[in-house]
Amino acid sequence: MAASPLKEEPAPEDCSLLPLVYDIIKCMDKDSPDVHQELNKLKTKIQEAREQIVTMPGIGLSPEQQKQQFENLKEQVRTKNELLQKYKSLCIFDIPKS
Amino acid sequence: MPRESFLWEVECLGDIVMAVSDRSTKERLLSVLDDLEVLSRELIEMLALSRSQKLPQPGEESQILELLVQRDGEFQELMRIAHEQGKVHQEMQLLEKEAEKRDTDIQQLQKQLKEAEHILATAVYQAKEKLKSIEKARKGSVSSEEVIKYAHRISASNAVCAPLNWVPGDPRRPYPTDLEMRSGRLGQMSNLSTNGVNGHLPGDALAAGRLPEVLTPQYPWQSGEMSLNMLPPNHSNDFMLEPPGHNKENEDDVEVMSTDSSSSSSDSD
Repeated sequence: MAASPLKEEPAPEDCSLLPLVYDIIKCMDKDSPDVHQELNKLKTKIQEAREQIVTMPGIGLSPEQQKQQFENLKEQVRTKNELLQKYKSLCIFDIPKS
Repeated sequence: MPRESFLWEVECLGDIVMAVSDRSTKERLLSVLDDLEVLSRELIEMLALSRSQKLPQPGEESQILELLVQRDGEFQELMRIAHEQGKVHQEMQLLEKEAEKRDTDIQQLQKQLKEAEHILATAVYQAKEKLKSIEKARKGSVSSEEVIKYAHRISASNAVCAPLNWVPGDPRRPYPTDLEMRSGRLGQMSNLSTNGVNGHLPGDALAAGRLPEVLTPQYPWQSGEMSLNMLPPNHSNDFMLEPPGHNKENEDDVEVMSTDSSSSSSDSD
């Protein structure tokens, strides 16, 4: 899975759709002709959000599953490090001094 | 679809989404986004309908609005979770790279250990062989004086090297003479006494005159008559130089014969 840079992702608070819905309701109240434009904005926003969700890295798992996987990976790396240290520190060729 | 049942379905869906925690964040996000789309469309349609029909239905609108706000909150929360999961994902990728690197190190170490094991096994085998030979030598030990005596005995008979003042004909030499070879087992096996006298005798043996006449080699180039007799009689002229005019007569004969034949043929005509 390719990791896309996180900088390009909008902050979670920018993802709300309520402001757009509010703008649409306001235009409808005023019988403004901009209501179609506002509706298009909402559609576009939803579509963009959908595309962004599809490309977001690391959300193919639930947070619990991801946490489990993360722990497994950490354990794997720790075990391998220990194994390497064990083999490197083994003095199997030491001859006991008589 | 009646609005009550729709609202009920949306609420149930939301509860299911919240309850099933092992669904992936992506699925939940897409699901909530679908809900948001449906709810916002429903709300706008309802508002437009109420505007056109001038029929205020504040209860349903407020219910949908509440749901919309709730789903929007869920969506933002899920986006925050997704953002966190993205960071964890990056850390996991780093960990995976580290694990791959450790795997490579372990494989390298394993390879080196196997090589060392092979070298050590060879060394142990050779050492065991050496110990065996040492033990064997220890069991059949010979004193050095005995070895020196034996060496003197060998060298006294010139069996190791010839004396410094050796000349052709001198029988004192390290290698066996032709007679000695023939009297040995090898000579008897290959019947050298009959077939082996064809130029391999050393000159000193001949000079010493120790060979009987029967065994004295007779070479073709030692006697001129012999070499001549050996040649077949019909080949004797092949190697002789003939005078240039020797074949002249034969050629003339051929010409005469051809002339005769031509004249005879003309006579017949």
